[in-house]
Amino acid sequence: MTVDLNKLHAVGAIAEAAEGKWGMVIDMDLCTGCQACVAACAMENNIPYVEEEDAGYGRSMHWIRTERFWEGEYPEVKISGYQPMLCQQCGKAPCEPVCPAFATVHSQAEQLNLQVYNRCVGTRYCANNCPYQVRSFNWRDYQDSRVRPEITILANQFNPDVTVRRRGVMEKCTFCIQRIHKAQDKAKSEGREVEDGEFTTACAQACPANAITFGRIDHPESLVSQLARSPRAEHHLEELGTLPRVTYLKEG
Amino acid sequence: MSKQISRRDFLKLATAGAATTAVLTGCGPTSRFVDREPYLKMPEYTYNGMSTYYATTCRECAAACGLVVRTMQGRAIKVEGNANHPVNLGKTCARGQATLQGLYNPDRVENPVKQARGAQLSQETLDWNAAIQIVSDALQNTDPSEIAFLMGMAPDHLFDLVSDLANAIGAPAPVRFGALGMFEARATLSKAAENLFGKVSMPFFDLENADVVVSFGANFLETWLSPVAFTRGFAKMRRGNPERRGYFVQFEPRMSQTASKADEWIPLRPGTESLVALALGRLIAEARGGAVPAAFASIDPLTVASDAGLKLETLERLAQTLVNAHHPLVIPGGAALGQGNGLAAAESVLALNALLGNFGLPGGVFVSPLAPAQDAYHRPASAKEMADFIAKMKSGGVKVLFIHGVNPVFEMPKQFGFAEALASVPQVISFATFPDETALAADYILPDHHGLESWGYQRAVVSAKPVLSGAQPVVTPYFNTRATADVFLAAAALAGGKFAAALPFADEVAFIQSKLAGLVGEEGFFAAPEINSFTAYFQQYGGWWTNDPSLATPSAASAIAKRFTPAAAEFTGEGEFFFLPFVSPTLGEAGANKPWLQELADPTTTVMWNTWVEMNPETAHELGIENDDVVQIVSEAGGVEAPVYLYPAIRPDVIAMPFGQGHTAYGRFAAGRGVNPADVLGVHFNEAGDLAFAGMKVEVKKTGKKKILSRLESRIGVYGEGLEKE
Amino acid sequence: MADRKHHTSHEEHLREQRLMLDPMPRGKMNEMVMEAMHTTSWKFWLVFGLLAAIVAYALFYKWGVMILEGLGVAGVNRPSYWGIFLVNTVFWIGISHAGTFISAILRVFKAEFRRPFTRAAELMTTFGLVQAGFSIFMHMGRVWLSYWLMPIPNQRQLWPNFHSPLSWDLLAITTYLLSSTMYLFLPLIPDLAMARDRTPDGTWQKVFYRTLALGFRGTEGEWTHLRNALNIFAFAIIPVMFSVHTIVSWDFAMATRPGWSSTIFGPYFVIGALHSGMGAVVMVLAVVRGTMKNMKYFIRPEHFEAIGKLMLIISMAWAYFFFNDYIVQWYGGDKWTKELLHWHEAGPMGWMWFAMLIFNVAIPWATLWNKKWRSTPWLIFIVGMLINVGMWFERYIIVPISLTINRMPFTWRLYQPGIEVWLGIGTLAFFILLYMTASKLIPLIPVWEVQEGQMAHSLKKYGRETVVTVSELE
Repeated sequence: MTVDLNKLHAVGAIAEAAEGKWGMVIDMDLCTGCQACVAACAMENNIPYVEEEDAGYGRSMHWIRTERFWEGEYPEVKISGYQPMLCQQCGKAPCEPVCPAFATVHSQAEQLNLQVYNRCVGTRYCANNCPYQVRSFNWRDYQDSRVRPEITILANQFNPDVTVRRRGVMEKCTFCIQRIHKAQDKAKSEGREVEDGEFTTACAQACPANAITFGRIDHPESLVSQLARSPRAEHHLEELGTLPRVTYLKEG
Repeated sequence: MSKQISRRDFLKLATAGAATTAVLTGCGPTSRFVDREPYLKMPEYTYNGMSTYYATTCRECAAACGLVVRTMQGRAIKVEGNANHPVNLGKTCARGQATLQGLYNPDRVENPVKQARGAQLSQETLDWNAAIQIVSDALQNTDPSEIAFLMGMAPDHLFDLVSDLANAIGAPAPVRFGALGMFEARATLSKAAENLFGKVSMPFFDLENADVVVSFGANFLETWLSPVAFTRGFAKMRRGNPERRGYFVQFEPRMSQTASKADEWIPLRPGTESLVALALGRLIAEARGGAVPAAFASIDPLTVASDAGLKLETLERLAQTLVNAHHPLVIPGGAALGQGNGLAAAESVLALNALLGNFGLPGGVFVSPLAPAQDAYHRPASAKEMADFIAKMKSGGVKVLFIHGVNPVFEMPKQFGFAEALASVPQVISFATFPDETALAADYILPDHHGLESWGYQRAVVSAKPVLSGAQPVVTPYFNTRATADVFLAAAALAGGKFAAALPFADEVAFIQSKLAGLVGEEGFFAAPEINSFTAYFQQYGGWWTNDPSLATPSAASAIAKRFTPAAAEFTGEGEFFFLPFVSPTLGEAGANKPWLQELADPTTTVMWNTWVEMNPETAHELGIENDDVVQIVSEAGGVEAPVYLYPAIRPDVIAMPFGQGHTAYGRFAAGRGVNPADVLGVHFNEAGDLAFAGMKVEVKKTGKKKILSRLESRIGVYGEGLEKE
Repeated sequence: MADRKHHTSHEEHLREQRLMLDPMPRGKMNEMVMEAMHTTSWKFWLVFGLLAAIVAYALFYKWGVMILEGLGVAGVNRPSYWGIFLVNTVFWIGISHAGTFISAILRVFKAEFRRPFTRAAELMTTFGLVQAGFSIFMHMGRVWLSYWLMPIPNQRQLWPNFHSPLSWDLLAITTYLLSSTMYLFLPLIPDLAMARDRTPDGTWQKVFYRTLALGFRGTEGEWTHLRNALNIFAFAIIPVMFSVHTIVSWDFAMATRPGWSSTIFGPYFVIGALHSGMGAVVMVLAVVRGTMKNMKYFIRPEHFEAIGKLMLIISMAWAYFFFNDYIVQWYGGDKWTKELLHWHEAGPMGWMWFAMLIFNVAIPWATLWNKKWRSTPWLIFIVGMLINVGMWFERYIIVPISLTINRMPFTWRLYQPGIEVWLGIGTLAFFILLYMTASKLIPLIPVWEVQEGQMAHSLKKYGRETVVTVSELE
């Protein structure tokens, strides 16, 4: 972690340490809860479906989910905004220090929380300690054609840039790091910086309402930085000091 | 570029990030307009780690969104939106994303089979030559008047081809049908436009430029007409103007996903939509002062408010909001039109728009343009027309039935008796890609490619710009399937005579080119001087569209002048509850065989992998029903059993159920899962011939059984179950 | 052993009551212990076979299934990522505590009543830790890679993360297992030598005892070394014992979770461990006394009485820590913690919360105050069992029930145990199986310690008063 812990004692230092690299802004006033992001994420990141029973038992593997709560009673009832919840790529991530195997670590280069699948031994401590509950665990061999014969053909669709995970491994949203790297490689080969909006995550790309914006939050002029300065902006569970990199724009 | 373009030129056309044509996949037909060169350099799709992107059209619904499919080493990896495509501007919905699980679905019809109307997919495979012979024989040996073509909703090249064939041999024009159209009451909307604007057309609602939007049941964020386009429009309406946030009101008995994004959801009594629209009109006219136009003169807002179960103040406030709006827009759709008086509802809402004076203005009502290379608007069949078609089948008037792109055994209410009617047709030939219920009931299944393996074009029905969306194979066909167009072409050639004369094309691409020929030289997103270049660009960019919108402005005069005889809708059935089926926003009508669509949480209930019955908690309490209690929904047409979801945002007198599950076939992910609410629906039509699917009353019976619904949400955290506090 | 010619009834009574005053010739006592070890009824083998079958099926077969199919066969889910696995881990570590507590702390404080059952308690430590180890390895998603948690030098220079409480845990448990095994072994040496001397040549037992006795002959020098080593170990193992359960508690307390992030968890867990451990000790003693030959001589009501007093005190201490933890969390007023506390009491598993308080506090307090009751083996056996059930409930409340409630109410979900129930039964069976095996292999009673105590105790008469005196041995 690059966060200077000593600095955090000073008031206001959190904002200073909060400067990440990649960030996301999600406009809850625009999100229609349509699940396009969930499907896009699943297709991009080879996320398994878990079928009815496991899905209803809290074992669904979505890396992003839309949360919604009710406000009021009929007929003055309303949905208090769809909130897509995904890994917040915390600057000070509670998941990182608790992993005994260093399977979830902070990327110095990208300022992201990495999940190292082949280092994970499956203690699930990170998932317990994630205040956002956005980590999903491979409870079974969902992607093994010996367990699920249909995978033999469905696997044609798998994204070769993303590892297929087996049982016993924790996983979570990566901010589509394979896309980040691809864009960086391309920019590097062309001798330039990655431009704002040159690429985006699968969820942001699909979102029909344009509710999700992804980009560099350390570039003040990037679209995502501009949106994050909105008066509607807020971070979820900010009080925990996790320095989330996802900003939500509230309704209204 | 008047000469034949070389392969090298062609590659230059395929600029970085944009789509290239599928000639690179080695798919046969396009090779004719590319000079072959030796493989001095390997085609890029064979390089490790290199992706190739192909533009095509999404076939998951009839909206014609443009896709760019990422492929790698001959496999389709990811669906992305085509950023240039006017319908979706680079965006996709969940169903579009999951189309790959249709392509690589474990349950596809892998070979042509002699199905012989079995319960399971037949293992008796055919040779394609034999299959073509069968089609050819069927065409030749049947009186043309007794040949029928039943097709899906999409107005695509295959529809054109079959229309040409039918026209040439004197067979009845192909019938297009789909459950989405039925549950949208699409025919009602175009009938209303016809009645008020004097022209068969689709009205166009300029959502993105409106600032106050009132919708009567139109679930435009879910499945209605062109959901991706409307969602984008909604976002622009909401937040596009930094000065003012768009205000959105939805009248609907149940809070749909669309209504859940409304600033005000007004649960009116089903069937009173037209009354409320007219009452709003009267209040608006009164608020503005001056004479009340004829359309709204005979309505009494106070009575309407009490009939609809609303407060008069609500209507008055809303009327004032609309009066104050710069760009007010009122949209009719969905279940509001699927009632006995649905046509009146659609007409009243259009009249209300006329009163608001938004015809032809930004954020107002227009008439959709015809797509490029289109003579007239062909709307899909209404339920009434389907009933007539079924009657013809039953009476023995159809000797050969060709079915493509639609699954009426599942999609139509059982009461229509499509399955029984099929039995009266001596020969049924299905071109289904998947072993759906209708395909299994056919004599032969001659499987078409999946949409992503197919050539084609498709007209966008709802678009400001005329759009002809292009489709090309992004991968070589995975199974031993064949394009239905090619099957018809080959069969016609084999039959010779008038058949061959009707379809004088070497293959599907030649046919497509013949239809595109008229666009050569036209100004648009691209222009090409001759057909081969045009076709290449057409595939590369994923279609052709004009640069500017060409929306027509309807006349408001006749709409305002129309005299309505306002009345609430009549409901059939003896039950206590209004029945409101709606198309599942995540599954659509044909998504049930894609596991990731099944796994998606329904936006409002978060239920996965099943069918549920939505019921107001108060009602349930009175009936002694709890969450997950299996109830039977009984109507005159029959009953279905499904577990209850206590839905806090539904009128206490309404029962709602999602349509999309309840398959008895259609692959391992769909079959035997949930129930089909269409089985409850009776055969009742509105004035426009659409099914009055929301015009029924049903009974709710307890069964004593329980089935735990799989929900993404926590019942503890969201509903406080197990945490009861005083 | 003073020459006693006349027995008053009071003296008689005292001797009957207290093992230390009821000496037995050394040879006879050795015989008794050896006899207890060698007398095996068919019932023993029946139970043994049954338990072995349970271990084979519930522990190894079911675990094999889980390893092959994944943790999906268990009941763990989001958000209850840890279920009964961790409940059992904490539970078994708790059980293991009483052994050291009785053996080391009572040894350090020279509590004489400890003598006949230190070994029984120490065995619990070692065998309990084995079950804890099973439980924690079972819960890993990829147990075949569990060696990655060890600081094994490797080419890629990948080390375990020493920031993680789980790493501390692993080190603490390993240390504890090693030290408690040594601490079990040291006082065993003289008894192994005794067994060696009473085992005929040419049997495998002879080889076994000869090997393990390390050539102990009972010279003064050997005794001095042994006593010194035991003294050092007794002192050294106490902090280890405290640290182990404190560190186990840190698995929870270090997390940013409502209900877990509690500074008092360390001592609360230690006292909880002692609570269940003492309960387990009385259960073991009651069974040993009831089923094994000659054991009624060694284990007497006085021992249950003494342990009963300790149990009462520990129960009170546990109640204090529970109350402290509860009141501080409640007073803190954090929204999610309040939800959690409400969930504990009023949620669908609220009965467990009340049962925990009844078993851990109400029942011990209601029974153990009475000297007669706490001297009754079957009664205190039941109390001990209820305490263990109560303490298991406590861990169940802390792990899966508390995990239900987090800061994302959209994910709250109940936990329904799956295959881990079998695995838990398997560990219990394995624990008993190990114990039964040990009872046939090593003297369950530390004969030399009893004899040492008996030599130090004597009855003296001062006027009419008979007084027990203990002479300092070392």
